[in-house]
Amino acid sequence: MIQLEEITKSYTLGKESVNVLRGISLVINSGEFVAIMGPSGSGKSTLMNIIGCLDRPTTGSYLLNEEDVSQHKDQELAKVRNQSIGFVFQQFQLLPRLTALKNVELPMVYAGASKKEREERARDALAKVGLQDRVEHLPNELSGGQKQRVAIARALVNNPSLILADEPTGALDTATSVAIMDLFVQLNQEGTTIVVVTHEPEVAEYANRVIYVRDGLLGQNPFEKGGQTR
Amino acid sequence: MSLWENIKMALMSVKAHKMRSILTMLGIIIGVAAVIVVVAIGQGGEAMLKSQIAGDGNTIEVFYQPSEEEMQQGKWEENPFTQEDIRQLEGIEKVSNVVASSSEFSTANLRDEEAETSITGINEAYLDVNQLKVEKGRSFTNADFLGGRRVAIVSAAMQEELFDGKSPIGEIIRIGVQPVEVIGVLEKPTGLFAFGSVETYIPWTAMRNMLGTNNYSQVTLQVENADDIQPIGERATTVLNQLHDTEDSYQVINMEEIAQGIGQVTTIMTTIIGSIAGISLLVGGIGVMNIMLVSVTERTREIGIRKSLGATRQQILLQFLVESIILTLIGGIIGIILGAGTAYLVSFFADWPSLISWQVVLGAVLFSMLIGIAFGLLPANKASRLDPIDSLRYE
Ligand SMILES: Nc1ncnc2c1ncn2[C@@H]1O[C@H](COP(=O)(O)OP(=O)(O)OP(=O)(O)O)[C@@H](O)[C@H]1O
Ligand SMILES: [Mg+2]
Repeated sequence: MIQLEEITKSYTLGKESVNVLRGISLVINSGEFVAIMGPSGSGKSTLMNIIGCLDRPTTGSYLLNEEDVSQHKDQELAKVRNQSIGFVFQQFQLLPRLTALKNVELPMVYAGASKKEREERARDALAKVGLQDRVEHLPNELSGGQKQRVAIARALVNNPSLILADEPTGALDTATSVAIMDLFVQLNQEGTTIVVVTHEPEVAEYANRVIYVRDGLLGQNPFEKGGQTR
Repeated sequence: MSLWENIKMALMSVKAHKMRSILTMLGIIIGVAAVIVVVAIGQGGEAMLKSQIAGDGNTIEVFYQPSEEEMQQGKWEENPFTQEDIRQLEGIEKVSNVVASSSEFSTANLRDEEAETSITGINEAYLDVNQLKVEKGRSFTNADFLGGRRVAIVSAAMQEELFDGKSPIGEIIRIGVQPVEVIGVLEKPTGLFAFGSVETYIPWTAMRNMLGTNNYSQVTLQVENADDIQPIGERATTVLNQLHDTEDSYQVINMEEIAQGIGQVTTIMTTIIGSIAGISLLVGGIGVMNIMLVSVTERTREIGIRKSLGATRQQILLQFLVESIILTLIGGIIGIILGAGTAYLVSFFADWPSLISWQVVLGAVLFSMLIGIAFGLLPANKASRLDPIDSLRYE
């Protein structure tokens, strides 16, 4: 489902050019649960943003569901994000003035769903993450774990084939992290492809496969070689 | 995403920052209110002037104003309109009424009481055309006019003056030495500052019998159509000048010239108001743009979130554009209400008519929306161009 071919990403800061990704080739199949690990600053988030069509690679090609999205225009990328991808961020990224329900409705607003359909599906999604009795709460009336559940409900509400989570448990305690990861496992078992960026080996253990990024390149599993990342 | 969705979202955001929204709208509110007030008062004044000159009911007054030469030839007459003149004028096509009257100042007595009043001898058409209504008692009948009966209708002010406000119906007053029976009282003129003057009306025939007045001093024509006022008025002067063998003693006001003059004044006024309004709305618009730019910066993260969820650039652009239009539109509507209220108060206390036409209201609404678009485009465009990743990271 995801096919990355020699992806590079560089930023020019003043006269200098920084190569953040230096040629990443990667295939992730439909239905996989992949964890991406690596030291801070290695380019994990940059890679995720490219996979999530929030950003374009400097060079290289990217096929998402057999579609070459590296050549897509802004508008087409927005549609891909809306229909095929769900995001979960470390900082939750909920709109503070909207209730949990309205936050979950947002992706459907941009998909052009009717009000009735939106509300129905948003309630279903919130029920799925166990928040059926918190629909009218504002984000600041929810705990961190509950906020992340709302974010997950929002990510899955348009039935995307791919859910991307950049350090989804980074702001949560261990018990809450386990609950959140269980949710991802459940979604994965229902057929959604899941990619999670994380620093925590416990989190990575939920995945079927772990990918290591180091200095903008895919690397070896440091644990197998007896090395260490943290 | 539907437009309605956008409008609801914009209203929510305006409501979320009530104070700021009101302050932002203030420039638009003041600008629109100022325009509404000035235009209402201006148009009201213009309408009042025109109706005073033209008469409410398609009327035009005929003047007697002999030239110097004719004066020297001794052709001057105090009551220049004869009964024959009136008959001739009534014969002109499209003339619906000829109002004729003569008036004099005199004293009227009721027993020991005495009052100064104008005595106006009128013909049948006078009360109707001048929209004078008899409130108490009765109006003149044909018999009163034909028989020259000594009956009078007095103004409300006259009732106060001579009768201490008591009903004068049936009382006999003396004008000079002649007894006259009061049969009716006129309705009080309306308006807060309209006092009305002390007036007594009697049939012209009675006036002729009592005071020996032979002719009429004042003539007003009423025509069927407003458009006919000028040509019929001129036709009337030709007829009168022929009858009296005068050059140009009988005249009517050239209403087209006056209308043009008023029109010019109005144009100048409109230009001045227009530029004041333009400046204040420009300032208001810049205020809106300023706040919208601040709002875009404040909501960078929101924009990032929306984009990550699939909002296109156009959808973000529309969101912010609708928001600034809603701001200016609400400002405009508040301005209209405020302006209309002020205009109403002004006309109430200053006894000056004000006229709020739907064209002005519609214009104000459209113009404030236009300002919202013009000054909202820059901030909305800025919002739509934000990079989603940078925006998500924005603190
Ligand atoms: N817009 C940018 N301009 C310049 N450099 C950038 C930009 N975005 C990221 N970088 C650089 O790219 C590198 C990788 O950043 P990235 O956020 O992908 O790291 P990461 O692996 O997610 O790190 P962390 O684990 O701390 O989240 C960093 O060195 C960062 O400074
Ligand atoms: Mg990162």
